[in-house]
Amino acid sequence: MAKYLIPAVAVLLFFLETEFSLFSPIDFQGERAYLVPRFLILYLIFLSIYYDRKKAMWYGLVFGLLYDIFYIDIIGLYTFLYPFICFIAGSTVKYIHQHLVVTTTLSLLLVALLEIVLHQFFLLIQFTDLSFTEFLNHRLVPTMIANSIYLIMLGWTFKYLLKARVLEKANQSIL
Amino acid sequence: MPHFLSNKRLLMLLVGVILLVALISFTLSDRQKVSFPEQVIKDTVGLGQSFVAKPAGYVTGLINSVDDLLNTYEENKRLKSRLEEYGSLQAQVNELETENKGLQKLVDKKSDLRAYNPIQSNVIARNPDQWEEKLILDTGAKDGVKVNMAVLTSEGLVGKIVQTTPYTSEVELLSTNNTNYRVSATVSSKGKTARGLVEGFDAKRGELMLKRIDSKIKLKKGDKVTTSGLGGIFPKGVLIGEVTKVSTDDFGLTKLAYVKPAADFQMLDHVVIAKRQATQIDGSDGNSSNKDLTSQGAE
Repeated sequence: MAKYLIPAVAVLLFFLETEFSLFSPIDFQGERAYLVPRFLILYLIFLSIYYDRKKAMWYGLVFGLLYDIFYIDIIGLYTFLYPFICFIAGSTVKYIHQHLVVTTTLSLLLVALLEIVLHQFFLLIQFTDLSFTEFLNHRLVPTMIANSIYLIMLGWTFKYLLKARVLEKANQSIL
Repeated sequence: MPHFLSNKRLLMLLVGVILLVALISFTLSDRQKVSFPEQVIKDTVGLGQSFVAKPAGYVTGLINSVDDLLNTYEENKRLKSRLEEYGSLQAQVNELETENKGLQKLVDKKSDLRAYNPIQSNVIARNPDQWEEKLILDTGAKDGVKVNMAVLTSEGLVGKIVQTTPYTSEVELLSTNNTNYRVSATVSSKGKTARGLVEGFDAKRGELMLKRIDSKIKLKKGDKVTTSGLGGIFPKGVLIGEVTKVSTDDFGLTKLAYVKPAADFQMLDHVVIAKRQATQIDGSDGNSSNKDLTSQGAE
């Protein structure tokens, strides 16, 4: 059951991201705040930590490619970044305690890293002229707040699902 | 170090990075054309997206209606004050319309830059990372959508089409940062009309910049800015916004006006693509080909 649920959740989150981005940008106290939903990559980071790094990287590659083709029209950007983030997340497993609080913080840090790399890339190709402080105030901070709310709400579900899958697999190998 | 060179993983990584940079630069150079596999993927993802967009659109509709409900009192007061003006304006418009029709018949003018066939479309997605201001619509080349067509809501112009696949199309909003993005516009002020180009978006003010206006013409706050129809594909007379501030250009030769857009770029769920009835010319600007579009493609 959990076997089919894992890709299904990934597909659902991929589609939901854009629906939530329709709400953004919001005007908060006269300041324009951009909220970038990063549902999928947060899920993939959890997948990488709790389940399987290699699988997470494959998911990252496929969904990164879809993201690039459908939204960005620059192929190679998310195609590289998604698996890369999953790789880092999976590599930390040996060094960190797998408590939900620790993994949540780590995931959010990795998403912040993703946002900063993207900002630098778009600066480089001159799609934006946003300075770093502006980026920090109008994009990064609101985005991180929104995503942490999302992750705090759903992080434990992801963990539950992935643990269920690990259990399922272990039972199968015994039989 | 021979150990490193023989490392298969390192070699794979290197090849991967080279491939990646090549892909990025390749796709970055020509973004208007879509290759066949890209088209297939876009259409497939678009199909899935439109299924998800339906319930999501329902929810945003609900939020919008609640929002409307909360503002009802204020809005009612404002509208009531305008109602009296409206009656006399309506009579005037009717009169002018019949007069205009009569005059057009008199000079035997058949095509009008203002007339367009609307193509109704639903917004199925928005570029989630929001570095570019883009929307994806559920109508495409099969419905007669072409690159550079104007995209409007009931409030005014929101953007233009930048890319089409058979079943989806991509809109770049007016609030874009793209320097190659221009819209030919006119401002009418006290019977005089000034021409200019909407070029660039001031993110801090949240307003568009109308550049290259003749410095002899005096503009004032509140003047309405509309499309001129001279760009080739856009219909004439679509509202863009109103002037909020006038200053001189960077070089002091022409004027620059800040324009507050009439349409709201947030929470867009339903838009209209304007297919102009008069001859369409693909402008000579940027990557455009300056070709006659009406007589060629299959209509």
